[in-house]
Amino acid sequence: MSGSKKTFVITRFDPDRDEAPRQQSYEIEVDPRWKVLDALNHIKDEVDPSLSHRWSCRMAVCGSCGMMVDGKPSLTCKDSLADHGDTVEVAPLANFPVVRDLVVELEGFLDKLKQVKPWIIRAKERAVEEGTHRQSPAEHQEFKQFSMCINCMLCYSACPVVANEPDFLGPAAIALGHRYNLDSRDEGDHERQEVFRGEGSVFSCSYANECSEVCPKNVDPAAAVNQAKFRAVIDWATSFVVPRGGEG
Amino acid sequence: MKQWLLRLEPIIWLLFGQGILLGTLLLTGWILVVGLAIPLGLVPAEALSYERAHALASSLVGKLVLLALCALPLWKGAHHIRSLAIDFGGAERDTAVAGCLYLIAIVGSLLAIAAVVRL
Amino acid sequence: MGRPAHPDAMKSSRPSPTRMAPPQMPSEYPMGGRYRAYTLFDATGFVYLLVGLLGVRVVWALGDGPVAWAQLQSELQNPLYVGFHLLALLSVLFVGVRFFRLFPKAQPPRIGPAKPPPQPVILGGLYAAWLGVTLLMAAILSGGLL
Repeated sequence: MSGSKKTFVITRFDPDRDEAPRQQSYEIEVDPRWKVLDALNHIKDEVDPSLSHRWSCRMAVCGSCGMMVDGKPSLTCKDSLADHGDTVEVAPLANFPVVRDLVVELEGFLDKLKQVKPWIIRAKERAVEEGTHRQSPAEHQEFKQFSMCINCMLCYSACPVVANEPDFLGPAAIALGHRYNLDSRDEGDHERQEVFRGEGSVFSCSYANECSEVCPKNVDPAAAVNQAKFRAVIDWATSFVVPRGGEG
Repeated sequence: MKQWLLRLEPIIWLLFGQGILLGTLLLTGWILVVGLAIPLGLVPAEALSYERAHALASSLVGKLVLLALCALPLWKGAHHIRSLAIDFGGAERDTAVAGCLYLIAIVGSLLAIAAVVRL
Repeated sequence: MGRPAHPDAMKSSRPSPTRMAPPQMPSEYPMGGRYRAYTLFDATGFVYLLVGLLGVRVVWALGDGPVAWAQLQSELQNPLYVGFHLLALLSVLFVGVRFFRLFPKAQPPRIGPAKPPPQPVILGGLYAAWLGVTLLMAAILSGGLL
């Protein structure tokens, strides 16, 4: 395979030296089979060791190499260089504070994930002797799609509400909460409804659908968020008929 | 006020959603005939002469359709303008903006009810 | 680079040990790429609000009697009104096409024991209802029916 040249315009930020992020260009020989991440690794290894970026698995599973490539949120290990022109712009994920170069702050996202209580909640724990919680394939199918999220945060980078409303829970966190609400073994719906209708309200979503467009795992978080709104409306409507706490 | 808005969010969203769904279903034909075809002379104005229009509108079904067609789009409008305001950086002023917009929708809906009741 | 996002977007609840660069919005936002369709979708809110208020005015005039009704009908011939209604027609068509595409997947897989029909069926139903209601409405209003 003969190589060709491409120019990478990379957003750099060194908190100790740079007042604000700046752009730096690297012209390198690339292999046409490379992904964007391969080019970044090449630059880091061969051209400029000061470049900082996150990556781990290189196979779209770990979710750590998300960046803006040519202005769009992208999982760089999955994004072929062949799909880009002679100049490729790489920037840190939009809507996130930037720690350094292409590395963004994760804590805000983890805070939001915790809020939706992403674990199975039972009204009363079952004793070990009573055996496991059985679930049919059909029941599993109801939430399976929403459990495929790899927390790459591309959806947060694409979402106009995340950009403007800091309290909003955001696509991945709501999808994960919704995944547990749909789980036949879970009984935490009411607890999560309080979160879904609180400060980070699911109703803040204006259904831009961009989260689903950029999701590399076809989780379709926009579907989850809007299904969650539907459930919140049903929950609200039935709360007049069935008083809260009167169930279960 | 913000807590109020949060508590009312399901009903607002329901009205907004119906504004898109029913609003779009009903408005397409309405705009085509009342807003375009009759004013442009493509359909004779006698089709909506006072007598015929009043007879159509004052039936129960007519009143309900007109109420839905006038009131629901107000909620779709108010909610979307609110979201547009947030999208352009107005999150800090959201409570005030939302309050004003929903007030317009509430007053407009009450006027729509009054308008069909007095037919 | 895009415009700055809200300074607190995706901010940690704990203070950071280092200085960070503030969050930026995607560079395509709000009128580039797919964001344009979204921003326009939100912007049709202005049109819907005005159409609703205009509807109230039309029904009010009908309640006021034949003179007011005739006056309103001649008013609607004003090119400004016709232009607005043309914009309104484009808006409802755009809203319908975009919203009906997004509507089916927003249905929960199950509400209690009830399952909604498959997504293509919902989409087909929406378009059938749209066409049916529009034809019915147009036929009645233009004197072809009733």
